[in-house]
Amino acid sequence: MNAVTSLPVMMPASAEIFLAIAGMVLLMIGVFRGESSLRFLSYATIATFAVAAILVVTQGGGGEAFYGLFVSEGFAQFAKILILIGSAFAVLLSRDYLVREQAGRFEFPILILFATLGMLMMVSANDLMSLYMSLELQSLSLYVMASIRRDTLKATEAGLKYFVLGALSSGMLLYGCSMIYGFAGTTSFTGLAAVFAAQTGVVPLGLVIGIVFLIAGLAFKVSAVPFHMWTPDVYEGAPTPVTALFAVAPKIAALALFVRAMMDPFADLIGSWQQVLVFVSIASMGLGALGALVQTNIKRLMAYSSIGHMGYLLVGIAAGNQAGVTGVMLYLATYIFMNVGTFAMILAMRRDGRLVEEIGDLAGLSKTHPMMALALMIFMFSMAGIPPLAGFFGKWYVFMAAVDAGLFGLAVIGILTSVIGAFYYLRIIKIMYFDEATQPLDDAVSQDLRVILYGSAVVTVLFVLFISPVYDAAKVAAISLVGA
Amino acid sequence: MTELLTEYLPILIFLMIAIGLAAVMVIASLIVGTQRPDSEKLSAYECGFEAFDDSRGQFDVRFYLVAILFIIFDLEVAFLFPWAISLGEVGAFGFWSMMVFLGVLTVGFIYEWNKGALEWE
Amino acid sequence: MSAIDPYILSGVIIVAQILAIVVPLLVAVAYLTYAERKVIGAIQLRKGPNVVGPFGLLQPFADGIKLLAKETILPAGANKLIFILAPMLTFILSLIAWAVIPFDDGMVLADINVGVLYLFAISSLGVYGVIMAGWASNSKYAFLGALRSAAQMVSYEVSLGFVIISVLLCVGSLNLSDIVMAQKTVWFAIPLFPMFVVFFISVLAETNRAPFDLPEGESELVAGYFVEYSSMSFALFFLGEYANMILMSAITAVLFLGGWLPPIDIAPLNWIPGPIWFFLKIAFVLFFFLWVRATMPRYRYDQLMRLGWKVFLPLSLFWVVLTAGVLVTFGLVPA
Repeated sequence: MNAVTSLPVMMPASAEIFLAIAGMVLLMIGVFRGESSLRFLSYATIATFAVAAILVVTQGGGGEAFYGLFVSEGFAQFAKILILIGSAFAVLLSRDYLVREQAGRFEFPILILFATLGMLMMVSANDLMSLYMSLELQSLSLYVMASIRRDTLKATEAGLKYFVLGALSSGMLLYGCSMIYGFAGTTSFTGLAAVFAAQTGVVPLGLVIGIVFLIAGLAFKVSAVPFHMWTPDVYEGAPTPVTALFAVAPKIAALALFVRAMMDPFADLIGSWQQVLVFVSIASMGLGALGALVQTNIKRLMAYSSIGHMGYLLVGIAAGNQAGVTGVMLYLATYIFMNVGTFAMILAMRRDGRLVEEIGDLAGLSKTHPMMALALMIFMFSMAGIPPLAGFFGKWYVFMAAVDAGLFGLAVIGILTSVIGAFYYLRIIKIMYFDEATQPLDDAVSQDLRVILYGSAVVTVLFVLFISPVYDAAKVAAISLVGA
Repeated sequence: MTELLTEYLPILIFLMIAIGLAAVMVIASLIVGTQRPDSEKLSAYECGFEAFDDSRGQFDVRFYLVAILFIIFDLEVAFLFPWAISLGEVGAFGFWSMMVFLGVLTVGFIYEWNKGALEWE
Repeated sequence: MSAIDPYILSGVIIVAQILAIVVPLLVAVAYLTYAERKVIGAIQLRKGPNVVGPFGLLQPFADGIKLLAKETILPAGANKLIFILAPMLTFILSLIAWAVIPFDDGMVLADINVGVLYLFAISSLGVYGVIMAGWASNSKYAFLGALRSAAQMVSYEVSLGFVIISVLLCVGSLNLSDIVMAQKTVWFAIPLFPMFVVFFISVLAETNRAPFDLPEGESELVAGYFVEYSSMSFALFFLGEYANMILMSAITAVLFLGGWLPPIDIAPLNWIPGPIWFFLKIAFVLFFFLWVRATMPRYRYDQLMRLGWKVFLPLSLFWVVLTAGVLVTFGLVPA
């Protein structure tokens, strides 16, 4: 049977194929029905995500598709579910904003849908080529979303910065890929793993350079230091629902891709990349904690906070063992709810109908909106990693994995930066509870935001009750990637 | 390999002859014609006025749009070339793969049509 | 006589072949300008040029010598190097494309297996000459003319590409001689008639000819991108454009009108040698160029873009799908 003419295996990619078709159908509906279809398209997009999630769950053990370009196993499925949850929340968060700011463009949910499609494919990429293609599908959609309010200067600036720097990082990634291909003679992850497993002696310098370029490209996508410079500006300039998307789903996808790239094809070269990741991780944790101290804009603060979180997550990858991957997956699961909740809070910060973004605007929140203040306090404590809230467990497992791998220094630095980071999270709580409000925030908060805000807070608090099933699922996912 | 390259040798020689011919024609005219430039003769033509400003300013963004659309569709054509001449070998699966690809592009085409990217008022 | 190196000998043969293409081509360009004025004159019930030589036959040479003797003006604000290079580029490209055109079975300078790609690439490069000229002139008319021309050329290049692909589907090869030989039974102009029409109209737009000669729309842009040119650099543009017209006619003949093949392969017709048929076909297509110019009013720019993007592009794309579908369904795909 000629390989070119026979139909490839497609079932493991059923969710992605469904998303692609649904995206095109919705695009056609939108373009023929015009801006009035925004409401319908938002719900349809969420329904699409739900169906895609069902397809992911029901495909069983998964397997390879498209001649090994695509792979779906427990690890990919776990990450895909997280991504779909994050993206669905982003659509929900955007609805109220788009209506209120009259920025309704029916492309908005569809762009989220295509970005999500790219993210799902990133998680399943099993070849340098499908890696690059999926990364670009996701990035191009996000570039457009960053500047979707093209009539405002800030959003245009954010979009342009993101695009130019993103293009640069894609270029580096592609250059790294070509170097790796040049030294290994294959682009398939399975093939690369086999080549490197058989390799003895010194790792060629060119190959190491290739891997470093690949890491640089991926580090840009997860906004790790020293490729973080776009993050604060883009977070601040992009419309808030877009920032809420940026902070969650793409990070999960890029990290899952990072984990797969490091643990699958380059697992046997751990000696070459571990130091790089340790450095990137320490730098991200440090810069995230210190940079956030001086911020007054809450979206910029969230940017530095996410840089810090990426640092902690990279600790898990640097550990390079099954426990590390488990920790990363668990961390990501908690990360979604803390972030989505915080962004729901930021979207609810309105004064006289206009969005405000200064940390000082939160002053006296405990008097005017006690429930919201309580919810935000929960998220802040959780992000700082205070037990028994959700954020604590992610950090705990990641640092334990680092200790297992003998990276004691990394774990200690991680704990130190967590303590420094706790300061700025606590500062927000102090402003909410102990400062006097100059002018209270608006009372009217939309139903959507309320539900998301309180729901996320409840999940964050009660996570401790579900820790063992989530941990087991994360462990199964990790084992499917790296073995026991 | 060398056989393949020798097929291109006449093109290379042709290119050199063409360059030579073009250069000779320009130089011959420089020698034959009387050259008597003055500042009025050398100013840019603007219906008899002095040029108001430099011509290298902003121009309509639509030209960019056309260029971007061109890139998309020209790439599509570039994909179609190898497909068209090997349709006999790639069989039904190759045929349907390209139909899916063209279908996706058609969706994009309908979108840009409806959004008015092809209007030029 | 063994002193003659075989490499030098083959080199001399190649140069002779090239000259055998270039010299008749330049003469043909000269007489195309003459034919244009005569044909348009006849259509408009005028006489056309009739003073210089018998029937005005020496008119093109008089024009050429006049241009040669004129002063070459390099505008003060221009980028001198690019300004000079632009017409040279247009001229060079219109010449070297001829390297792959087959005049008869085996009568081709470079019988490369990607002939169509080569032609497509060379004709795409043509837009650089226009852009360089318009930009380097540093004149508003030239700049606007160049932008319009570039947008127009790229718009129609897309549908040209699709048309070429529907021909390639029926041939299964990129070699121009193979394309001609595939038309032994029937010329592609008949089964692919709509594509033939689209191709011819797109070629008019691609060569900036009437009714699509907006880039040089003299009522608004004076002369478009070559408003600042004079003397031989102007003549090079002129030669390049007319050589391009002949080239495009030749490509039309190869793709749709069976190249050097006689219309029907029977006794009196196939006595006439292939190159004669080929030249007759080129002349036939060229006559259409002139006829259209004499009878059609100029398009508006929005009409031009609408025709390219909203009519030709969907139509030619649909026809590619249709052709491929018919070939696959009925098992007619050339192996």
